[in-house]
Amino acid sequence: MSRANPLILVIDDDPSIRQTLTRELALAGYDALAAADGVEGKALYEERRPDLVITDLAMPRADGHAVIAAVRRMDEATPILVLSVRGEEEDKVRALDLGADDYVTKPFSLRELLARVRTQLRRSGAGAAPEVLRFPDLEIDLARRAVTQDGREVRLTPTEFAILELLAGQAGRPITLRQIIATVWKGAPATTADTVRVHVGSLRRKLEPEPANPRYIGTEPWVGYRFLAEPEEG
Amino acid sequence: MKLQDPIGRWGSLAPWVAMPLALALVTFVGHWAGANAPTIGSIYLVAVLGLAAWGGWAVGATASLAAMLCFNYFFLPPTGTLTIAEPANWVALISFLIASTFASRLVATARREAAEAQRRRQEVEILYELSFALFAVSQRPGVLGEAAARTLRAIGADSGLLLLGDTDSSMETASTVGEPVETEEAALREARESRRLVERGDLVYVPLEVGGTLHGVLVARGTSAPRTVLEPAGRLLGLAVERERLLAEAAHLEAMRESDTLKTSLLRAVSHDLRTPLTTMRLEIESLERQLEGHPQARASVRGLSLEQERLSRRIDNLLSLARLEGGVARPHPEPVPPASLFRAARESLALILAGRPVEALVDPRCPDLWADPSLTLEALVNLLENAARATPPDRPIEIAAGPAPQGVWIEVRDRGPGLPAGVRRLLESPRDPRRTAESGDSASGGLGLRIVQGLVEANGGALALLDRPGGGTIARLTLPAAPEPEEIEI
Repeated sequence: MSRANPLILVIDDDPSIRQTLTRELALAGYDALAAADGVEGKALYEERRPDLVITDLAMPRADGHAVIAAVRRMDEATPILVLSVRGEEEDKVRALDLGADDYVTKPFSLRELLARVRTQLRRSGAGAAPEVLRFPDLEIDLARRAVTQDGREVRLTPTEFAILELLAGQAGRPITLRQIIATVWKGAPATTADTVRVHVGSLRRKLEPEPANPRYIGTEPWVGYRFLAEPEEG
Repeated sequence: MKLQDPIGRWGSLAPWVAMPLALALVTFVGHWAGANAPTIGSIYLVAVLGLAAWGGWAVGATASLAAMLCFNYFFLPPTGTLTIAEPANWVALISFLIASTFASRLVATARREAAEAQRRRQEVEILYELSFALFAVSQRPGVLGEAAARTLRAIGADSGLLLLGDTDSSMETASTVGEPVETEEAALREARESRRLVERGDLVYVPLEVGGTLHGVLVARGTSAPRTVLEPAGRLLGLAVERERLLAEAAHLEAMRESDTLKTSLLRAVSHDLRTPLTTMRLEIESLERQLEGHPQARASVRGLSLEQERLSRRIDNLLSLARLEGGVARPHPEPVPPASLFRAARESLALILAGRPVEALVDPRCPDLWADPSLTLEALVNLLENAARATPPDRPIEIAAGPAPQGVWIEVRDRGPGLPAGVRRLLESPRDPRRTAESGDSASGGLGLRIVQGLVEANGGALALLDRPGGGTIARLTLPAAPEPEEIEI
């Protein structure tokens, strides 16, 4: 689908948020449409196939989780940003597990939201995954399964490499513990959050200049981890 | 149904009276018919068996002996004497005695066993009917009174009362059936302590024990039911009492659960309703800032608005968190939190307030992760940092630091402010009750905020201490549990 400007669908039951968000997104150079609840949102998504969806979670009729599930049934790739509320962390984690790509917490700043929108659009428009992921001072060669930091090779175990590949391959996106277990351990039933923490801990010791103040692998409270470094272009 | 004892030890008097008549009748008929000795013997045997079946073993044995004497006297030659001429007749007479004694013994035993089986059947029927009556009734007020009445009726008592409780002081009458009954304190205590049936005059005290727990005592008057009925009846009534208690408990728990659900959904609604306008405000403020490019004065006002909007957001967060914790609808969910992530998140939350202000973050490399609820801990730290920013002149740095403590992790927020007002310190040392603080309008600067920090940190199993900083200023020190070191896994 070729459009001059990316099309963004905003789904929120509060009219003032809908209005402000669509106006600000338009000012930032996006085309924006709005829906007042999940049912309307799903219909608009199907009709217009936007490039990105921003959805609230608590809404009358179909809620945000239903929207995420419906969008994921129709399309795997469209980025979905969730507007979450503090104190409802379980809802947020559930949204991510259902396939949402990122979240901001109300009251969020416009700057923060636009930054997340840009990251998501860039990721979805990046096309086929590159064979080598490049970050400042860090290179991950997916074909050779080798990691180079400041020109030196870092030796990782297969599990550590798999975790790094998952996180760095979606840099900037929060990855839940459940997603890590599902991808790296193929959902092996004995794998617990602690298992993941042990491997991430040893990955940090090998990779981070200051493991207590991580530069690459950030802890996302309640959720899991997020790769913090920005990929280098090219 | 009333239980009867079909056979006493000696039976009734009737078989004893009937015995001589029956033997006389057989003797007379034998003479009259001129029957021979073997025929007469078998007729006597029939009479003896009939008497044994009716009157039991003692009647049967006596009748055997008497029949043998009559047989000898009237029919075995020489007749009219108790002597016997022919040795063959001796054999016949002794055979008769042995046969009639054994047969009457067998008949009497069979009769007694049939009667015993009948009695047991009746007992089982009584208990079955009672259990059905007790457990078929649905839960409603007064159901225990009805259960007691049904039990008393089943055991054939004309009146009685149900006492619940297991000690002298806790025992109280739950229901009275029929005429008032005067209970005896000592008998009641004996039944309760021995957990056994106690009989006193015309009253029976039945302890209601189920699985080692005593639920009360049933006092029955005028029952003739045996122990084998009274004891299980007591257990059945005990079960009914226990069932009522469990049903009442379940109803109470259900009510509490509903009230928690209500609180949770109320808090959710309030939280959503408060944060939505705050979000719009924030978006509009940012939009205004952009539009006011080139109007420095107006931009300064908007910046002030923005700071206040953020402060309002934090206060709402604080109040909602406290309401959740104190309402018992949210328990902290601890997980390992690296202090550095916490510091980064806190600085991001206070981006505006800390803008252009030096903040030094120091994490000891040996510092373990915290074991705490990340949101609540972040909230506590943000409050402390906000207080420090308010107290410290804009050009002086604020320090946040973390390191290992003997029992966990310490986190300090160090400012160069004027030090802590005495009122605030007193507030923290007084018994914690945030409502009192709010009601008394104690406005000691930062007092309520610190009180909230204290509440949040204590909910996480930690503590807050305020210390004077050498060289001027205050140190707010949080001590929190450290995350358990995950066991090394073979990789």
